[in-house]
Amino acid sequence: MNSPTPASPQSPSRNTEPTEPTETTVPLEIDDIQGGALYERPSPYVGTYLLLQIHEPADGRELIRRLLPLLEPGPASTEPRSGAWLTVAFTYEGLTVLGVPQESLDSFAPEFRQGMAARAAELGDVGASSPEHWEKPLGTRDVHIALAALAPDAADLESVVARARRAQEEIPGVEVIWRQDCYQLPTGRTSFGFKDGIGQPAVEGVGTPTTRRGEPPIKAGEFILGYPDETGGLAPMPTPEVLGRNGTYIVFRKLHTRVAAYRQYLRDKARTREEEALLGAKMVGRWQSGAPLVLSPDEDDPELGSDPGRNNDFGYTSDLRGFKCPAGAHARRANPRDSLDHEMSVDVRLHRMIRRGTSYGPMLPEGVLEDDGEDRGIIFVFAGAHLKRQFEFVKTQWLNDGIFIGAPAEKDPLVGATDGSGAFTIPQHPIRRRLPDVPPFVVTRGGEYCFAPGLRALRWLAELT
Amino acid sequence: MGSEASSRPGVRVGSTSEFSLFFHVKPGHGEALHQALRELQDAPGYRPGDYEMPIASIHEARFVPFDDDTRLLFATSFDGPWDAYMEDFAAKPLKLFDSIFQHVVGYEGLPSLQAVKDFILSAQQTAGGYARNYGGTVKEIRKAITVNDAFQEVLDDPEAADALQHPALRPLLDVAAD
Ligand code: HEM
Repeated sequence: MNSPTPASPQSPSRNTEPTEPTETTVPLEIDDIQGGALYERPSPYVGTYLLLQIHEPADGRELIRRLLPLLEPGPASTEPRSGAWLTVAFTYEGLTVLGVPQESLDSFAPEFRQGMAARAAELGDVGASSPEHWEKPLGTRDVHIALAALAPDAADLESVVARARRAQEEIPGVEVIWRQDCYQLPTGRTSFGFKDGIGQPAVEGVGTPTTRRGEPPIKAGEFILGYPDETGGLAPMPTPEVLGRNGTYIVFRKLHTRVAAYRQYLRDKARTREEEALLGAKMVGRWQSGAPLVLSPDEDDPELGSDPGRNNDFGYTSDLRGFKCPAGAHARRANPRDSLDHEMSVDVRLHRMIRRGTSYGPMLPEGVLEDDGEDRGIIFVFAGAHLKRQFEFVKTQWLNDGIFIGAPAEKDPLVGATDGSGAFTIPQHPIRRRLPDVPPFVVTRGGEYCFAPGLRALRWLAELT
Repeated sequence: MGSEASSRPGVRVGSTSEFSLFFHVKPGHGEALHQALRELQDAPGYRPGDYEMPIASIHEARFVPFDDDTRLLFATSFDGPWDAYMEDFAAKPLKLFDSIFQHVVGYEGLPSLQAVKDFILSAQQTAGGYARNYGGTVKEIRKAITVNDAFQEVLDDPEAADALQHPALRPLLDVAAD
């Protein structure tokens, strides 16, 4: 039983009307929720992801004890206490090794129990993206703990990592088996040149400002376990309650981007630099600056792109046929907003996600069309209460498929799992443009499904015997 | 719950999967059920010839009372894997059929998502055979009809035969003769 839920899970509230505010708002236990999921860290930042293997369960628990005072719930402080903002999460294997009882392990979401590598066929991680080609140890049973450390600058970060190293010498039963550095540029731009991280759900009770007027905040239970969600009920929560409550599922994927191939493709398909920029924008749904196509269909508007009060304040009902923003554009696929409401088949609010992606690898210098052999891309990070109906649904139904827009032969032109046979249609007057055989621009290097527990839950884990 | 072997997901042909639910009618509700079905049939989108059902991802839908009104079949063809949309059904389309499902066993207004899932899964049976006579999603079919209507209009123009001589229009000329 998920016991103390002030709002009755029986509440029939919203099955009729998805946007009507529900009867009760349950206060979030912000002090018990790891800050990284709910709150963006101040940009720019640098960071590192560490994956750890637990050889000695007691040492794993000791590590949790030492991490606990360093975790800061709530909005990010400008000066993180430990020098870095930390987030800690566990794979199913990790929880198993720590000694979580089987009954409790069985209560986690089936996809989490299977792990991301086992979901490869569903997720479209095939061919060059298939787990057999993943960077080791991603997707193996050795990955137990994922630790993200983000810091305002490199010096802070290094001192934190150095301290973590020393701490680790005292707990030899935990080994760092992978390190991936990452960063966010002051511009917020990632390897394809686009500002990212703009489209985020406003979460009820968190206090972050709504960026899309008219769209009610999404129920906290869609992201944090133990609270009413958009269905009026509670997301299935792992037991015991102390472990599940205030936790969230984390998806983490290392996505290599073929930037040179992408630039060459745009060059080949466009006659001028302006056309190149427009084609790039049509594929994303926003211009490089972040300005949405719906609000600025003909040219980039950097002022709009950098204005958080305006750059997410739009819907698609004025553009159902996609003359401004194609239905197949990445951001419109990933969050169709109001464009499907009249079809009655889907409730977009059930398929939202918090994204906390960062860049890795050096940017390819502007204008370069030749691959320099560097590994660069995005560490895609998802936070949400539902692996299946949020992350997996968006990935499989909206990005990897085109049935929902009446174009089964099309996939997301930027990130869809494609063998290079997918098309991309750009509605325009007088004649639509159709690009056949869009090559793959993103390759999955690996990833994990994790669970980021609340602070009480971490204490509970630290005290397992 | 239905037996694992016969339940979930439906048989798929191209983009479309079959979806059939077999319900037990609440005792004594046969007449009321028929009344609810007549009302549905009179609603916009369901009137014969309307062709605009509110749910855009289903090709057709039928409700069939059988066994002396003790059972009810709901059968449809759905674009996409319907099991991925289970929660969405609960949010919207199921509500459209509320007045019908009132009369079947297991439907108590579906207070929670789990109740919806149990309700659907307990009634769903996968087809032993399923075939389709045309490919394409509802959206593609609608588009195809619009395009054909436009094409027929072009053919009605006395200048059409000349206009279609342009090499770029060859594929259209090829299908213009009948
Ligand atoms: C290398 C891979 C990817 C790149 C380069 C990329 C890039 C972008 C860009 C440039 C935007 C527009 C800016 C914004 O609204 O924040 C965006 C939006 C978004 N992306 Fe991605 N993305 C990638 C992978 C993914 C994946 C795998 C998912 C989900 C499974 C995803 C989900 C989203 C969502 C939900 C939005 C926000 C849409 C909105 O609210 O309007 N992205 N992405």
